[in-house]
Amino acid sequence: MTMDYLEKYRDGRVNTAKTLWVMKPIYLILRLFNKTVVHRPVTILYPYEKLWMPDNYRGRPALAFNACIGCGMCARMCPTTAIVLVECPDDEGKPVKRPQVNMGRCSFCGYCAEYCPTDAMTMSPIVELAEYTRADLIYGPRRLAYDHTTDGMKIDIEETLLSDYQAGNGERRINPAKTDRPVLDNAKCISCKKCFKSCPVQAITMEEHGKNAKGRPILWPSVDDQKCVSCYTCVDVCPKSALHMNEVL
Amino acid sequence: MVYSSILDWVNFPNIMANPYYPFETYNLPYDISQKLWEIIGGTIAWLINLLFPGNPVSEWLVCDMTVNFFALIIFMIVVFLVVFIGILISLWEERKVLGRTMDRRGTMVGMKGFLQCVADGFKTFMKEDTQPRKVDRMTYMWTVSLVIGTSMLIACMIPLSDRWYVVNYNTGLLLIMGLFALAPFFILVSGWSQNNKYSLIGGMRAAEMMISYEIPMLILIATACLMAGTFNIGGIVQAQYDTMPYFIPQCIGFVTFFVCANAEAERTPFDLAEAESELVEGWQTEYAGMKWGLIMLADYMRGYVSCAMITILYLGGWNLPFIGDLNNYVPELVFLLKTWLVFFAMIIVRAALPRVRTDQILNLGWKVFMPLSIINLVIVLLLKMGGVF
Repeated sequence: MTMDYLEKYRDGRVNTAKTLWVMKPIYLILRLFNKTVVHRPVTILYPYEKLWMPDNYRGRPALAFNACIGCGMCARMCPTTAIVLVECPDDEGKPVKRPQVNMGRCSFCGYCAEYCPTDAMTMSPIVELAEYTRADLIYGPRRLAYDHTTDGMKIDIEETLLSDYQAGNGERRINPAKTDRPVLDNAKCISCKKCFKSCPVQAITMEEHGKNAKGRPILWPSVDDQKCVSCYTCVDVCPKSALHMNEVL
Repeated sequence: MVYSSILDWVNFPNIMANPYYPFETYNLPYDISQKLWEIIGGTIAWLINLLFPGNPVSEWLVCDMTVNFFALIIFMIVVFLVVFIGILISLWEERKVLGRTMDRRGTMVGMKGFLQCVADGFKTFMKEDTQPRKVDRMTYMWTVSLVIGTSMLIACMIPLSDRWYVVNYNTGLLLIMGLFALAPFFILVSGWSQNNKYSLIGGMRAAEMMISYEIPMLILIATACLMAGTFNIGGIVQAQYDTMPYFIPQCIGFVTFFVCANAEAERTPFDLAEAESELVEGWQTEYAGMKWGLIMLADYMRGYVSCAMITILYLGGWNLPFIGDLNNYVPELVFLLKTWLVFFAMIIVRAALPRVRTDQILNLGWKVFMPLSIINLVIVLLLKMGGVF
């Protein structure tokens, strides 16, 4: 009679009598109970104890204030426009441009750290960023500081160039985009020196190429290949779009 | 009148010497309560006597009859508190063990999670006590009060040892089981009075479930009493101490009774009356605030009573085998520990098994448990006739 009952209610996939019917789940539960009593359960008491986290965990961006040159590459590359350049006093009190990150918008992609020419911007392992207001989520340049930056956090872009790939060469080049150089369209230049003034690394010098019809000197920028960090600042500030970037492809 | 010391008023006489002593044998909670009243009432009497020397109120406060009266009031509180704390501990046990069986930690609020019960109590107490407009007020309130009341009554009536009891007479087990079996009727009426289809279905299911498990359960109780030769709980426990715990000869009956007790307490594999995934909260749907909190407490009281019944009938009650006179020290604690052990098994069953269908519980009750309990009865009869017990 009992077997008839078991046979009637078995679900077709398993033979209930063979799997000991209700004893198997009880056995499984007891085994799990034993496991979680002897070892701890998988859950942890979060605010009091934390999971182990690797040193290079990609948390919020961090900035080494004095290593930063204020080129604005991070703000330019930020996909969520979380970064803007703000003017702030440096250690001597001179006004300099430094990035400010809105953590409410930051997507923790790490582009700012990759593109930073001086590795001033890195990704820190800090992930606990909860604040009470949105305004508190905006991190100024000084607040972005992180003391325990290691060399492993300074990341470079490694990529295979398209030309290399087409030539059958799979070489991974480190930071190939840093060999991009601004090129001047001479006919458009009005000798305004804005590129010269804005260059964060003083790589641009204005060279005289004769005089114009009014007798003023014709000044064209020339770029020092050793100093240039390919930051696009000169390209962006040029009022006549006379400069463009000669990209390494 | 000369100054009288407090020691003249607080003295601990032998409780058995009190002519109004309500029990026949020594009763520990009554002893505790009488000594408590000796301290409280004696102090009050001493203070009044200091102000008004030789007044009759002081004498009245410490006379035999008054001491008996106030001791009985404190007795109620003591017995209830011990049961209440035992039930809170089983609640805590359920939360912790269920957590561990789900690979999490369970409740963590203070004192390893024990204070969660207190927090829950406060929460339900603070809640607004809403009541639907179209319920039948009288039955709505009376049935829930009776469910809670009978549960509390039987929980307090379970003796923790042969010195910790409320009533001790020859049909104590039948009385407890009779009150225990009353709840499904109240649940049925309550489900009807709430004017809610979920409640009504829950009530119907409670009644339906009762007719399926109650008969094998009563047969099993009768079998255990037959083996012991008495309906007195103390007698059954003593009989097991003299021979052996009954789960050894009645192993079939033990397992069957365990499942039936699960059903009687309406715990998860058989919680058809409040199937929260099918009916909203079953027959408790329309109860809000502290009413619901007390219903939950009553559920756990019934779980505690089920476990206590298993302990009394099959696990040897408050005695441990092989330790002889050591049993006289803390039999109450032994009993509670055994009860919590049985409750642990119930929690494991709850964690492991899904809820049965309504037709499955009928099938189980009539086609599986009924024959098993009869087989158990036959085995006991054979053992009795063979002169083993």
